[in-house]
Amino acid sequence: MQTSFTAEQLRDPAIAASNQVLRTCVHCGFCTATCPTFVLLGDELDSPRGRIYLIKDMLESGRPATGDVARHVDRCLSCLSCMTTCPSGVHYMHLVDHARTVIEETFRRPWHDRMLRALLAAVLPYPGRMRAALAAARLGRPFAALVPGSTTLGRRLRAMLALAPRGQMPRSTLDGVRTHPAEGTRRARVALLAGCAQRVLDPGINDATIRLLTRLGVEVVVARGAGCCGALTHHMGRHAPAMASARANIDAWTREIEGDGLDAIVVNTSGCGTTLKDYGFMFRTGEAALRERAERVASLVADISEFLVRIGYAPTREPPGLTVAYHAACSLQHGQRVTEAPKLLLRKAGFRVVEPAEGHLCCGSAGTYNLLQPEIATRLRDRKLQNIRTTAPDLIAAGNIGCLTQLAGGGLPTVHTVALLDWMAGGPAPAGLKPAPPATGTR
Amino acid sequence: MIAQPAPKQEVLARRDAIVAGLRRLLPESGVIAEPIRLRPYETDGLAAYRQPPLAVALPETTEQVAAVLRFLHEEGVRIIPRGAGTSLSGGALPMADAVVVGLMRLNRILAIDYADRCATVQAGVTNIGITQAVQGTGFFYAPDPSSQLACMIGGNVGMNSGGAHCLRYGVTANNLLGLKIVTVSGEIIDIGGAHLDAAGYDWLGLLTGSEGQLAVVTEVTVRILRGPEGARAMLAAFRANEVAGACVDAIISSGIIPVALEFMDRPAIHACEAFAHAGYPLDAEAMLIIEVEGSPAEQDFLLSRIREICERHDPISLKVSQSAEESAAIWKGRKGAFGAVGRISPDYLCMDGTIPTGRLPEVLRRIGEMSERYGLKVANIFHAGDGNLHPLIMFDANDPDSFARAERFGADVLRLCVEVGGCLTGEHGVGVEKRDLMDAQFTPTDLAQQRRIKDAFDPLWLLNPSKVFPLVETLKQAA
Amino acid sequence: MSEALAPADEEGVVTALAEAYDAGVPLEISGRGSKRGMLRPVQAARGLSVAGHAGITLYSPQELVIAAKAGTRLDEIEAAVAAHGQHLIAEPPDLSGVLGVRAPQTLGGVVAANLSGPRRIAGGATRDHVLGVRAVNGRGELIRSGGRVLKNVTGLDLCKLLSGSHGTLAVLTEITLKVLPAPERCGTVTLTGIDPTKGVAALSAALGSPYGVSAAAYLPAGAAARVPALAWLGAAVALVRVEDFAPSVAYRTEKLRQELARFGRTELLDDGASRNAWRAVRDALPLRGEEGAIWRVSVRPSAAPAAAAAVVGAFGARWFMDWGGGLIWIAGPPSEAAHDAVVAAARAGGGTWMLLRAPDGLRAAASVIPQEPPALARITSAVKAAFDPKGILNPGRMYPGV
Repeated sequence: MQTSFTAEQLRDPAIAASNQVLRTCVHCGFCTATCPTFVLLGDELDSPRGRIYLIKDMLESGRPATGDVARHVDRCLSCLSCMTTCPSGVHYMHLVDHARTVIEETFRRPWHDRMLRALLAAVLPYPGRMRAALAAARLGRPFAALVPGSTTLGRRLRAMLALAPRGQMPRSTLDGVRTHPAEGTRRARVALLAGCAQRVLDPGINDATIRLLTRLGVEVVVARGAGCCGALTHHMGRHAPAMASARANIDAWTREIEGDGLDAIVVNTSGCGTTLKDYGFMFRTGEAALRERAERVASLVADISEFLVRIGYAPTREPPGLTVAYHAACSLQHGQRVTEAPKLLLRKAGFRVVEPAEGHLCCGSAGTYNLLQPEIATRLRDRKLQNIRTTAPDLIAAGNIGCLTQLAGGGLPTVHTVALLDWMAGGPAPAGLKPAPPATGTR
Repeated sequence: MIAQPAPKQEVLARRDAIVAGLRRLLPESGVIAEPIRLRPYETDGLAAYRQPPLAVALPETTEQVAAVLRFLHEEGVRIIPRGAGTSLSGGALPMADAVVVGLMRLNRILAIDYADRCATVQAGVTNIGITQAVQGTGFFYAPDPSSQLACMIGGNVGMNSGGAHCLRYGVTANNLLGLKIVTVSGEIIDIGGAHLDAAGYDWLGLLTGSEGQLAVVTEVTVRILRGPEGARAMLAAFRANEVAGACVDAIISSGIIPVALEFMDRPAIHACEAFAHAGYPLDAEAMLIIEVEGSPAEQDFLLSRIREICERHDPISLKVSQSAEESAAIWKGRKGAFGAVGRISPDYLCMDGTIPTGRLPEVLRRIGEMSERYGLKVANIFHAGDGNLHPLIMFDANDPDSFARAERFGADVLRLCVEVGGCLTGEHGVGVEKRDLMDAQFTPTDLAQQRRIKDAFDPLWLLNPSKVFPLVETLKQAA
Repeated sequence: MSEALAPADEEGVVTALAEAYDAGVPLEISGRGSKRGMLRPVQAARGLSVAGHAGITLYSPQELVIAAKAGTRLDEIEAAVAAHGQHLIAEPPDLSGVLGVRAPQTLGGVVAANLSGPRRIAGGATRDHVLGVRAVNGRGELIRSGGRVLKNVTGLDLCKLLSGSHGTLAVLTEITLKVLPAPERCGTVTLTGIDPTKGVAALSAALGSPYGVSAAAYLPAGAAARVPALAWLGAAVALVRVEDFAPSVAYRTEKLRQELARFGRTELLDDGASRNAWRAVRDALPLRGEEGAIWRVSVRPSAAPAAAAAVVGAFGARWFMDWGGGLIWIAGPPSEAAHDAVVAAARAGGGTWMLLRAPDGLRAAASVIPQEPPALARITSAVKAAFDPKGILNPGRMYPGV
């Protein structure tokens, strides 16, 4: 596609990178069809191609972002379905990330929007703060009905209250900073991204990951200094804090790489995995040494399902006789293009795996999207649950905490893939599922 | 840049009133009038041509479409119907004084009737959406344009879209039973139905391919077909275009009509392989994708016959797909071909002429000569069974001279198609792109007859004007 | 009526029509007159026949196209393509048996009437295979549309508009058709002794199967008895045809027999019997001996049994179905009451009708095809005027005043 940047503009590496992306787009429109917001809203402006156009216009003009541009870019889930579809290989993710940064820097949002975004950026990446916030939210839930009317703010507050988990919030017993030795002969040594929000919402995921990996002969280290991957702030256009989080992780894991060595950096939250795998790009303009470290870290990142396929997984229990609807998290299927591994593993573990229609469409979770765009998020969730119910499963499995939270409460248990795999390999039954079949040791 | 008629100043002057009028007819999100938000609507799949419209209207029902058209007709405002905006001929290119009427929100499937083998869907349902709705029972909707993932059935009707499988199953016009249309003055008319071959004039046939110039389609009743037991593709690679062309003739002459018979030249093979990793032969000058249908035994029977014919043409390689995945990968490369060219060139123009199949080698040779003369690369993709040729002319839109050369190159290619007995467009439509070449194919009398038909439906020439007919003719009409 | 004009070439047609336009003289357009009895009687001062403008102008078997002048006999074209192992895809019928006119039909007539046979349901109608036309409009101007290539969307599709326009918009002078290789073998699965409702259900099941059914018909016992290839069955019969290479026909007919066994007893007709049976269905021979009027009714297939029952109840109609039930051939008394019953049955089935044969009185008085709603009728008049402003081409053939 034609672009009209000046030579001066193109000296900005961010503009240069976006120009490259824009030049790759041939405006064929294939992306519109698989974009969840276009499917729902039927407006070119809420499609990837329309957003690309708006972003191009904004970047070329060099003028501050307007409310119109912000609104349509904000509605983007960053699900990256468009990237799977695009035959030309347009790197939409990099373009929209750039646009979010420009919008954040040049557009003044309404006060309540600014407040909410600041709050989310200040809470979600920090497990301690998040735990406290959720506790408050649980106290607040009964008052959800009192949150006024149809204002954006009201809808968002209700959305936040609705998402707070209902039961007790257990803490992980395992995912503090420490090294978990392999059982038996050590076959590999990996770092686990212990993460932020997930640790609070479902600490069992990290526990299952660590149990399963160590049982398979993998030493798992939760590195000191590693924390939030940066995705949450990155997707809100908050460039500096995102880069700071990423930088901290790179430093922490580099110490491990250069110390006892790492065979992989394992991620069990696919949203984070997509960002970790992009660290090389994020630091492409940094000093050479940092860039190399970022690239090295990025190259070691593997989703837990990818890593399990690589090292080999085998169940020890009898097949549980359960049908699992596998929900492909966007960050896993579109962001990382990991599509077969989770299904392969679940089948191997003895589950009957079904795939709902419209598997390419986002469930509406999308990081903080369900909090910032509750209306669209809810429509997507309902559509997703409808498609899942049609397959008549016993439970839903997914590889991303955001999806699991979003789809919870739809009448079906939602369980992280790794928790199911751990269960069939000798771990405890995930909450809400029937007791495990007996271990046989013969399989 | 293509010439457009001057906007009607008196319409531009009433812009605010027109927008206000639309807002009275549609929900808030259904009217777009802010300049920044109009920009993404300034073009379609032919991004070289751009013009933001006066406004965009996004109705949600046939009744809203009718109300919008009635209003715009009363106001004398030009109307640009739009579906997914994937036209490669600029069929949805706006005009400065026109309102784009987007049908994307009419995206519901209204009825599926397996006993009578038809489905009624709204115009904004995607082509593949119809097949997805019925494929659970083994049915499908046959026409499969490369953009079938995104393009909408309303646009398919407007352009009479084809696809890779139309050699066997026909184009859009051959697969329709009924339409619901809105006339320019806002009247709703049902054409045809769930039965075959209405008595009276063949409005279905006339409206199909009329490029949004006669009426706006809001609902479509299509035939759905039960799919075959299976299908399998094979790749045959050859040393020269001539040899591949002769092989196509030999297959057809043997009495076999494959369900698809696709030809790619060397640059196309390379671009598509980079995208689809389908195992395309990178050492070949020309490649055929040949697909047959039926039970496994029937597939074997046909493929072995085709294989024998191919072997008589000194192939570099012959590869029969061994699995559904392999076949899917083979088609992924072909269907993504246009976008895949976007990987090797920032921009391309996709031509769409049709030629008598026997003239293929000569036409390719002459296109090759033009390519050298214009200094622009070209990749050729060809529906070999039915003579529909898609040269993809690569250029750099940031270089005005390159674009100008690409346009002239394209025009030369299309004139060549007509010269050898073919036509300007096989399945993309004339749109704005080929408008001024129409007199290469038609006499003034031919065009005058067509224009009088447009007059009969749309006396004021408000529906998608400045397309299809040479601009000078259109201006005469407006005068 | 004075002596018919009989131009020998296209130029002659142009001259004749230009003169008629200048003089405002209405003409009845024909080839050899085989379809003169269809639709409404034409009120014209003179006839114009294109029968003298005949001959194949292009045939390229490997490109699957044949072109011929409008007056070319259809059987000549069929023979020419058969010599290269090809055939006309829509299997146009020869209705001389039911129309009672023993003249050979011309290509122009078949296209102008858009007549299609049993293969219509799988291969498309005659109009679907008209790739290009040359024609002379009511102003005496030569117009062309389409071409000689298989895919063409350049400009408005006048090929389709003129197909089935019964010579009311322009006089076809030359037509290019798509042809296909003729199948090596033909086979037919029959279900005997089956009632119409189950019969159509069986046809739908067959057409909804993956076995490439190319024709599907239902004949009540009386109709079947008039078809030599079927009479021996001695009962009502549902017929399903497969055409392909010999091994495919063997395989698919066997599969269909298995699939259809749940509807009743199946038999297999061999190649020769199949061809005879389907020729009879194509040409409406089961109604050949009928006196009175004949209608073709096109409905949604699942509505066909009720439509047939309705006309049987109303006037004891004789009938049979083609196109999987989508086409009902009906014979009955040439009365307005019978016509009204046919119209009501067609409407109830969500479809349309054509009064194919009747005495002039009924043809002039009845809606031989459905009246269009006012908005569409206005377009019809305007399009008619766009081709034939003085109304000199077959006036009144389709609608009074058009």
